Amino acid sequence: MGDDMITDGMLDMFIFETEQGLENLENICLESKDVGEFDDDHVNEIFRIMHTIKGASAVMMYQNITTLSHKLEDVFYFIRESKPEKIPHAELLDYIFEVSDFITGELEKIKEGSETDGNADDLIEQLDKYLKKIQGGKAKAGEKPAAPAPAPQEKQRYYIAPVASDDSKFYLIYITYANDTDMANIKAYIAVNALKGIAEDILFTPSDIISNPDSANVVLEFGFRIALQTVEDANHIMELVNASAGIENVEIHECTSDDFIAFCMEAQSPVSSAGEVLTAPVEQPTILVKDQKPQAIALTNEEEAQKSNEKASEEKQPEKPASKPAAKKKPAAKKGETQSFISVNIKKMDLLMDLIGELVIAEAVVLQNPDLKVPGLDLTNFQKSAAQLSKITSELQDAIMAMRMMPLKNTFQKMNRIVYDTSKKLGKDIELEVIGEDTEVDKNIIEHISDPLMHLIRNSVDHGIESNEKRAELGKLEKGKITLEAKNEGGQVWISVSDNGKGLRKADILEKAKANGLLGNRSEKDFTEKEIFNFITLPGFSTKKQVTEYSGRGVGMDVVVKNIQDVGGVLDIESEEGAGSTMTMKIPLTLAISDGMIFSVSGTSFVTATNSVKEFIRVSSKQLIVEPDGEEYVMIREECYPLIRLNRYYHLKNGKENIEEGIVIILSHEERQIAIFADELIGEQEIVVKPIPAYIKKVKGISGCTQLGDGSISLILDTGDLLK
Amino acid sequence: MEEEKVQVLNDENEQPEQKQQYMTFRCCDEIYGLSLENVNEIIGLGQYTSIPETEDYIMGLINLRGKVIPIVDVRIRFGKEPLEYNDRTSVIVIQLQDEVVGLIVDGIEGVVNIARDEILPPPSVSNLTAQARKYVFGIGREGEEVKLLLDPYKLLHDPQEEQEQAAE
Repeated sequence: MGDDMITDGMLDMFIFETEQGLENLENICLESKDVGEFDDDHVNEIFRIMHTIKGASAVMMYQNITTLSHKLEDVFYFIRESKPEKIPHAELLDYIFEVSDFITGELEKIKEGSETDGNADDLIEQLDKYLKKIQGGKAKAGEKPAAPAPAPQEKQRYYIAPVASDDSKFYLIYITYANDTDMANIKAYIAVNALKGIAEDILFTPSDIISNPDSANVVLEFGFRIALQTVEDANHIMELVNASAGIENVEIHECTSDDFIAFCMEAQSPVSSAGEVLTAPVEQPTILVKDQKPQAIALTNEEEAQKSNEKASEEKQPEKPASKPAAKKKPAAKKGETQSFISVNIKKMDLLMDLIGELVIAEAVVLQNPDLKVPGLDLTNFQKSAAQLSKITSELQDAIMAMRMMPLKNTFQKMNRIVYDTSKKLGKDIELEVIGEDTEVDKNIIEHISDPLMHLIRNSVDHGIESNEKRAELGKLEKGKITLEAKNEGGQVWISVSDNGKGLRKADILEKAKANGLLGNRSEKDFTEKEIFNFITLPGFSTKKQVTEYSGRGVGMDVVVKNIQDVGGVLDIESEEGAGSTMTMKIPLTLAISDGMIFSVSGTSFVTATNSVKEFIRVSSKQLIVEPDGEEYVMIREECYPLIRLNRYYHLKNGKENIEEGIVIILSHEERQIAIFADELIGEQEIVVKPIPAYIKKVKGISGCTQLGDGSISLILDTGDLLK
Repeated sequence: MEEEKVQVLNDENEQPEQKQQYMTFRCCDEIYGLSLENVNEIIGLGQYTSIPETEDYIMGLINLRGKVIPIVDVRIRFGKEPLEYNDRTSVIVIQLQDEVVGLIVDGIEGVVNIARDEILPPPSVSNLTAQARKYVFGIGREGEEVKLLLDPYKLLHDPQEEQEQAAE
């Protein structure tokens, strides 16, 4: 659409804000789904979100988003103003979700750089019908059927700053009505309607003349003010305005665009004469101009975006005091929680992290400088300053780490929607309990776990939990329930999805595994529970006999496991037949930083993740068993571990050969254990994992490198890779 | 900005014969040259970490201000006996697209300007090892001296070797 005129920054901002808005919208909807209706705060909030999206998308000229959000805004405008009773809530939720999905889909297209060609006409029509339906219910109340602005004519319009048109003039019109005029608000509306024909833009105060019968009194008392932008002259306007009855006096002043904007601002402000200022759905807050030339848009869209931002922020102020104290349980504190964020390019964060890493090393170089080791040097003051410096750098390190950490809240909230959608489609009554959503995880990891989590949730909804009838049959009285829990556990985050459904049937899994020839020579009885459950994570393995929209194709669990492994985590499956199952993802807190154990072999230092080190032990030669083929094992407390001598394994010269001189480190990786022999232990340190430069071919067992405190590089030994 | 760019373009257009700058260094009693375009910086050789199970000429990894870069001993790359590293041993950090690699050389000579028409194809007979000859794309003459100009890409990725590896 308006590609050239829209800068990347604006686009990013638009996408970011719209996504936030939609997320908010979904949360509100999901929160209210059990209550069965929206409270006033919710209605206001949804109205505001749709309004912002409408305004922003219009500036960016995404017509379909604009018209759709406009329609939903209309619906909420009506709900807010007329407070109809007993609106079909579930139906409304579905529409909101559809709208949200549509816009999300369009946003995806925008991100990919393709045209926003989605057609929302059907949805708009449905919303129209819905609006008519709820309006119909309200009409009985004696009020004139509120017709909030003719929507169809909207389609041809573009939002634009008033200054864009050269020929048009601005007028402020002040109309007073005779004191005995009945329904002055309707009269005022007639005047507005008459002017609409010539208006490029029109705004009026009080703005709620259509929906609020009380505004009649306001009009009588304070008069009715209109701001108009048009190319017509004052006489023509006078003619049109005077066509309606009951008018006592009309004043028309020509004014500048600045006055015009000032009026618009005033119309939004809380001190306006109508008391509680409410805005009409069409004309606010951005300004409408018909048939504008695109060049003009280029000149003004930036200004416009800025202005609508200003307005949006101004708008919030009157709304908050206006919203009545929520009758329902919502704690008031919730609103105050809004935090301010800036989005930063992740590359800048990485750079900052690298630099801080450098700083720490430079610090070590300075503080341990050999020049300081002159005997007899008094370093008291130096040491004091050095301690101060160390404190600051370590705090700086913690701060940058904390910056990359994000709560799982957003990810978990998305799951809410998935449970809602999936369970609804499958006709199951399922509730989702979320525990520990404030647990923080590195941003990179969050990106990796969202998909697997979604899959696990769908699995639980689809074939974990039985259908309502089946549950009744089985005498399971409680509602189907999925628990999503996150917690910190020993340097890891455990995210578990549990359900109280039917659990995994070991017999079925074994049968299927047998059919697929996965059992090998072992008898079925030999398999531990864990091994059996692990079959379901193999590619193409599904015990589900029927393929549904959500699961059963056998692709999935293997992808889940792969995704989790990519971030260095594991999937743990527990299940009790008939009572439900729990899938736990155990993932490291952060990809970037982990604790490492440093040891050296023939002068080369290696690091291995501390959590894979089971123990280190000095063994005597009696504990060493050498097989005829040269393979070695060590016996430690009746346990036998295969031994890898790193110096031999990597053909390093001058390594220690006598097992009694070096140290044996027992490493474990997913149930398997291995002993490695190294020269000596150096220490433990937090390590920042860096990839080995691509120029160097992959070396078995080495997954990356890291920088040690003295600036030297150490190779990271990956137990999993070593065991392969 | 815009103007500057135009200026640069003009310069190139007007002087197609413009001299190119080469960083020269000593290695096995010869003087080699590398186009300055590929040279990022020159550093002294400090501590490095060797990597097991890699090609013999890859000496290991160094930490260049937080970036981990591999270092290659040019002597070994040329099939000569390695020399013990001393104070004059330098590392030329070169960059080819995204790849940053350090080259360990015996010592740095300087920077020379060599016009393109002064570059001759490498001689078929010389005291160079066969290995070294593969990486030399031309001979540059500067006054009396002769510099062997290296193709940095070939130096890092021997097409022949890579083919052999692929065949394996």
